Amino acid sequence: MKRVVLAICGLAIVAVSLWARGVEESGTEESITLTIAGRDGAYGEAMEFATALYREQNPNVEFEILTLSGSALFEQTVVDLRSGAGSYDVILIDDPNAPQYMAAGWLADLDEMYAQRGVSLDSDFIGPAVGVGRFPAGDGTLYALPHVGNVALFAYRTDLFEEYGLAPPDRWEQVAAAAEVLAQNEPEVTPVLFRGSKGNPIVTGFLPILWAFGGDVLNAEGEVVLDSPESLAALEFFLRLSRFAPEGVANYQSAQVRDALYNGSGAIAIEVWPGWIANINNPDESAVVDQMQIRAHPGQVRGSSPMIGIWLAAIPESSRNKDAAFDFLTFLTSEETQRRIAREVGVPPTRVSVHQDPELQEMYFWYPAQLDGLQNGVARPRTDRWSEIESNLGEYLQLALIGEISAREAIAQADEQIRDIVD
Amino acid sequence: MVAPTVGVVAFLTVYPFVTVFSNSLFEYDYIAGTRTFVALDNYRSIVSDPQFVRSVVNTTLFVALSTSSQTIAGLVLALLYYERFRGRRIATTITAFPMMLSTMVVSAAWRTLFHFDIGPLNVILQRIGLGRVGWLINPDIALLSIVVVDLWQWTPFVFIMLQAALRTIPREYLEAARIDGNGTIGVVSRIVVPLLGPHLLTVALLRTIDTFRLFAKVYALTGGGPGNATETISYYIYREAYRYFNLGRAGAASVLAFGVIALVAAVYIPRLLKEHP
Repeated sequence: MKRVVLAICGLAIVAVSLWARGVEESGTEESITLTIAGRDGAYGEAMEFATALYREQNPNVEFEILTLSGSALFEQTVVDLRSGAGSYDVILIDDPNAPQYMAAGWLADLDEMYAQRGVSLDSDFIGPAVGVGRFPAGDGTLYALPHVGNVALFAYRTDLFEEYGLAPPDRWEQVAAAAEVLAQNEPEVTPVLFRGSKGNPIVTGFLPILWAFGGDVLNAEGEVVLDSPESLAALEFFLRLSRFAPEGVANYQSAQVRDALYNGSGAIAIEVWPGWIANINNPDESAVVDQMQIRAHPGQVRGSSPMIGIWLAAIPESSRNKDAAFDFLTFLTSEETQRRIAREVGVPPTRVSVHQDPELQEMYFWYPAQLDGLQNGVARPRTDRWSEIESNLGEYLQLALIGEISAREAIAQADEQIRDIVD
Repeated sequence: MVAPTVGVVAFLTVYPFVTVFSNSLFEYDYIAGTRTFVALDNYRSIVSDPQFVRSVVNTTLFVALSTSSQTIAGLVLALLYYERFRGRRIATTITAFPMMLSTMVVSAAWRTLFHFDIGPLNVILQRIGLGRVGWLINPDIALLSIVVVDLWQWTPFVFIMLQAALRTIPREYLEAARIDGNGTIGVVSRIVVPLLGPHLLTVALLRTIDTFRLFAKVYALTGGGPGNATETISYYIYREAYRYFNLGRAGAASVLAFGVIALVAAVYIPRLLKEHP
């Protein structure tokens, strides 16, 4: 009796499965679910927006979007891709981490996928933004498309600079001089803002100064060159600027810098990213409408050295839906989608034409500076050990910032640690 | 009958440890997928790494301060609640509330409280004419701030455990001690503490093991900073394993951490067994 019941149940399951399969296939196309490992915040909103647009044209494609912090995204995608589990069909990658994924052979060859479809990458993408999606960087195989055109910029209050007769700063020395004047005359305003938290935040704020002073972490051959008079001068200058920063700057993250800019309590931000300032001229959110200039960083020994930080979109080699993922990727990075994302969410594009859109330039006055920064900016060193290098450098920078060690000690010790990592 | 159980326990405990120990003998780059046998090099490299040394010092300090303060505060609370008073049940529930919260929620709330510029604590200090305190940004204070958060969250656990234990002491003992002329301190030190001895030891062991694993609060409140003032062993292991994917060094640090905990347990457990043969 028991066997009969089991057999009937088994037959019923098979019959229902076949019927359901038939229903699914009787529609126009088979349903596909694409899983995206993405970012939180504005990038997450942009992805939600883009997938909703895509579904209007492709109702058979469903999306599962993971919105993760930068570090959680890195950890989860590395573990998944290493195991070959194939949980994700599209992943976002911060460009300094890209060499690790690419060197490990975890990403699908997009050059090949373009060739299979008889199309090629169009030339509207900003060159360096595409370059960091290649391995080797610049002219290697294409493994990722540029999704978010991030570049670090410099911001200052034009009303305060005009009031005290301060010229727009072209050199970092002028920034320090302006901070001194503002500190003496504007007790309610914090002259200088940056992110002082250890690790990535403080390193990101410091690198444009390091490069402008002629220093660097690694040279073109990948050798450690941090311990140099130029780097020391850069760090000493950074510490000099920090005297005009809030007392709690060692704990500052993007939220604190952004809040101080929007409520008008900060005068100069040595590092702002397009996503932070999307609403700086929106009177509902900002107290400094039309009072903030956003431009490329000042230079010093060298010219301006804005830092690019592209968020790339890639297809894992282990994805089970590579064709559908490629179709979505080209849609996500298309001119029209980038234009709509920029307009509705404020996430910066990676195409020249979108930066030159008059309507968007009206909304975001810094687009010309942003485009210039992306075209002429400097990418962080192309090494598969960057996260470790950045973490160590960030630790010594913060120790110097809080006065635990001197600038000379910080540079020397960071150099030594980074040599251990690279060797 | 026992064999399957032993098998499951062995699989869940011995196998992971053997894997971690095995990894610790290799230079193991998880991303590149390369494993090179280096014998004890990872151990040598770790014990000479100033960050690891600092993490050991910080963890030891944290364990000592947190465990002792929580045990004392929990005992005081248990004694206060020992007396019958109106609303004791509700008060007990409210007092126990912090330990029911997620550590990330607790950390988020305290991060706001500790905020240098807009945190309520510093706002109050400024209003009464005192300067602001760098709760999470001053390297001399940051670790103590995390001790305070842990104290707030886990003293209720000690309190609940000791309150239950206190009920096993006949009230006549305490009354007799008072009749003999002992004050509160005398009753506590001569009667309560000796009788609660095994329970205090159990609580201290549990809190020692838990505080030794301190991770989430550091992750959420300071990220190990400022500098490496709040770097702990667990945070060090996490960073090596999940930020740098150096599974060899992470394994070596884990084995060393396990050794320390085993040592602590070796001190506590014979005494516990002696009390409860």
